[in-house]
Amino acid sequence: MNNESISVIKVRDILMVTMPSDPDDSTISSLQNKVLTAMERTDAKGVILDISTVETLDSFFARTVSETAQMVALMGGRTIVAGMRPAVAVTATQIGLTLKNIETSLNVERALDAATAERPRDPR
Amino acid sequence: MKSKTKSPNGGGEKRLEAVTTPDMLRMLVENVRDYAIILLDPKGNVTSWSPTAERLKGWRAEEIIGQHFSKFYPPEDNVSHKTATELAVAEKEGRFEDEGWRVRKDGTRFWANVVLTALRDKEGKLVGFGKVTRDLSERRAAEEKIRKQSQEIFEMAAVPVVQVWEGILLVPLIGTLDSQRTQHLMERLLQRVTETSSPVALLDITGVPTIDSQTAQHLIETVAAVRLLGADVVLTGVRPTIAQTLVHLGIDLSNVFTRSSLTAGVRMALEILNLKVGPKS
Amino acid sequence: MNPVLPGEIAIKSESDIVAARRTVRDAAMQVGFGMTDVTRIVTAASELARNVFKYAGEGAMTWRQLEEPGRMGIELRFIDHGPGIADVQLALQEGYSTGAGLGLGLPGAKRLMDELDIQTASGQGTTITLKKWRMI
Ligand SMILES: Nc1ncnc2c1ncn2[C@@H]1O[C@H](COP(=O)(O)OP(=O)(O)OP(=O)(O)O)[C@@H](O)[C@H]1O
Ligand SMILES: [Mg+2]
Repeated sequence: MNNESISVIKVRDILMVTMPSDPDDSTISSLQNKVLTAMERTDAKGVILDISTVETLDSFFARTVSETAQMVALMGGRTIVAGMRPAVAVTATQIGLTLKNIETSLNVERALDAATAERPRDPR
Repeated sequence: MKSKTKSPNGGGEKRLEAVTTPDMLRMLVENVRDYAIILLDPKGNVTSWSPTAERLKGWRAEEIIGQHFSKFYPPEDNVSHKTATELAVAEKEGRFEDEGWRVRKDGTRFWANVVLTALRDKEGKLVGFGKVTRDLSERRAAEEKIRKQSQEIFEMAAVPVVQVWEGILLVPLIGTLDSQRTQHLMERLLQRVTETSSPVALLDITGVPTIDSQTAQHLIETVAAVRLLGADVVLTGVRPTIAQTLVHLGIDLSNVFTRSSLTAGVRMALEILNLKVGPKS
Repeated sequence: MNPVLPGEIAIKSESDIVAARRTVRDAAMQVGFGMTDVTRIVTAASELARNVFKYAGEGAMTWRQLEEPGRMGIELRFIDHGPGIADVQLALQEGYSTGAGLGLGLPGAKRLMDELDIQTASGQGTTITLKKWRMI
């Protein structure tokens, strides 16, 4: 049903991870492994997760993203979720998915700027 | 009425009516466009069918006469209940009118206006029903389009979102914020943040007289949703009375940037923008 | 102006969850919901389809269009013959999960839709009906 898969490429010292638009559960589950092995192999500083084509972010998907980000943090990296669609953000907020402790960015270019900057951007 | 005129064959007015009026009626029933006029017996079985009915619904007379008119309803309707109610109302009130989906022989649907009229003989005994069906699909489509457009215009007017600076959006909120309005606000603001790639949105509540806990909750949700997009909200125009209310309601805005004036808010927004551009540029 | 024809699909594999999402997306768009509501409805469907697969192993989803004076809507029903839910109130509580999840599926679906009805009992399977309306 779903042949699209997750792509992981390295740009500067950041891993750019692109999610397909409507991934099935095993594709979502493979996110963790793919990202963590790539982190180890490439010694990247952080991960940008491009979800700009994702149309549905349910609790299973969100949990996988959160867990992956926590693991990346344990390996010393940052995770920035980029390009969430407005309708997805409204829905996620309404369900109570906050993606706590995850950085977000309007699009991949901005995420790349933020990730390669010296310090985290959040002034709070 | 030509009630005083004698017919050429000397038959008189009675005969004229007997021949001509039913013929004319039949012509009317068979030729009037956009309407299907049929007759049902008291139980709802079709007793008379017309070419217009065939054109509208697809069945030929020999296929449908004797069948129950529940055939014209989509399967998901509670058909037996519906048809029974309609006949009962028409019998009691003389007339029943309804608008809804009906199905053709081939299963396709059309939006119909239906009028059932009870037909009684001279003694008042029910002999059946006249049923006039009109295809309103086009009218309904047009109406829906207009409704949708006016709704959009209304929503835009209710919640203006302006770009005041490259990367900064301003939403001046005026008047009472009910749930529905806050909902529209959230959707439109998020849309604009994405379209314009603006990292900061100023939500100015100077013009909002009071805030209750539900509105505050919506505002907090809006802030959370905007953050998921990768942008920040600065809440401005927080007057002393509103600050007091928020604290008394126990609403935690410690995670939200707030400023008392719009000017202070713009300064804050520029600060955020600077940080976002990062030391490298 | 083609109304949505009612239908049913089986949920017995992971790919059926994807199929359920797609079906619901198409139907909700055809009923005329805006993008945000379509996303809400699809997300709720995704949660419940996964629950069917995860807790009951298999089941089905049906969908149909709703019509009432002044409003139109969509109804989704998830039916399984699995273990059932012993305590519905508890299952609807945010954070309650017997499956190591976030426990956000059921309460989330309830918030995203206008109506949610659960028919279930221990050992009796589960039927959950969801409705969402839009004014016309
Ligand atoms: N179809 C079902 N059959 C049996 N039990 C169910 C069913 N659906 C839900 N449940 C029970 O209700 C609980 C709550 O479901 P809910 O979807 O809210 O959370 P979850 O599936 O555990 O986690 P999440 O959906 O956040 O990943 C489940 O843990 C399970 O015990
Ligand atoms: Mg669940």
